[in-house]
Amino acid sequence: MRRIPLVLPLGLILVLLFASTAPTQMNVRLRVIQASNIGRAVDPSLRDLHGQMGSLFNFTSYRLFRQDDLSLYPGLPTSIQVRPGRYIEVTLVQEYREGAEVRIRVILEGKDILNAMVRLSPGRTVLIGGPRHAGWVTIFALSPARY
Amino acid sequence: MKDSCSSVSRLLEKYFDQEATSKERALVEAHLAGCPACQDALKWMGHCRDSLKVPIETALQKEDFERSWQNIRREIQIREKSSWRESIQSWLELSGLFRKKVWVPAVAVAAILVLLTTQVFFEEASFVALPDVEYVDSSYNVMVYPIERGKITVIWLFEGQEMEAPPS
Repeated sequence: MRRIPLVLPLGLILVLLFASTAPTQMNVRLRVIQASNIGRAVDPSLRDLHGQMGSLFNFTSYRLFRQDDLSLYPGLPTSIQVRPGRYIEVTLVQEYREGAEVRIRVILEGKDILNAMVRLSPGRTVLIGGPRHAGWVTIFALSPARY
Repeated sequence: MKDSCSSVSRLLEKYFDQEATSKERALVEAHLAGCPACQDALKWMGHCRDSLKVPIETALQKEDFERSWQNIRREIQIREKSSWRESIQSWLELSGLFRKKVWVPAVAVAAILVLLTTQVFFEEASFVALPDVEYVDSSYNVMVYPIERGKITVIWLFEGQEMEAPPS
C-alpha cells in the first residue's frame, strides 16, 4: 500500500512521456490542378482556391485532375502518381498542435525536380506549380484536411 | 538477623532495580523469605516507584518533544543568524511534510508537466511565426511567393529566364 503513492505519479510520468513521443497522424488534402489558357473553365470544386489563384496567375482555365485526402504518419512517405513518370511524395516530418512540417518531393522520370520542406497550418495552402508542359501547368495544392 | 539485614539491604536496591547477579539475587531471595522487614522495605521501594512513575508518565504523554525540539532548533538558528539558504534548508528539514519526502513524486510530475507545456508553447509560438516554406531544392528555377493576406504560399518551377506564371 505504501508504494501506491509512488506508483501513481510514476505511471503518470510514463503516460506523459509516451503521449509526447507517440507517433501521430495528420490528414492532408492534396489537389492536383491542371491550369492552362485554353478555354475559360474553372472546376466548381476549386472555387475556394480560384479567387486566390486568379489574382496570382494569368491562366484562364483550372481543372481538378484529382483530389486525395492523405493520412500521413511521421517518417512514412505517401506517394501519388500524377501521370506516368510523374509523382508527388509527401512525408510528415513533425506535427504540431497548430500544423505540421511536411517534406515534399516531386519526381519526374525518376529524378527529383523538387525537394521542399513546408509548413502546413489551418487555413493556409501551399501551391506547387510548374514547369509548363504542353501548354498547361500542373499545380499541387496542399492544405491540412482537419483542425 | 540484624547483621544479615544490614548486609542484604545494600543488595536490596540492586535487586529491586534488577541489576543483581544471580548469586546476589539468590542470596536476597533467601533472606526475603524469612525477613518481613526487608519484605516491607522492598514493597516500599515499589510503592515509591509507582507513585513517581504515574505523574511522570502523564507529563510525558502531554509533552510534545518533537515540537519542543523544533522550537529549540529554530531558536538556535535565529540566534546564529543563519543565511537565507540555511534558513530554507532548515525550514524544509523541520516541516513534517517535507521530511517525509512524499512531495518528491508530486514535484517531479509538476516539473515534467511544466516542461512539456512550455515546450509545446514555444514550439507552437515558433511554428506560427515561421514562414510556410522552410527550404526548396530543385533542378529548375524556383520562385517562392508568400502571400500573407491570401494565406497562400506558391512554389513555382520554371525553365530558362522567362517566368511562366508571374504574379499579377
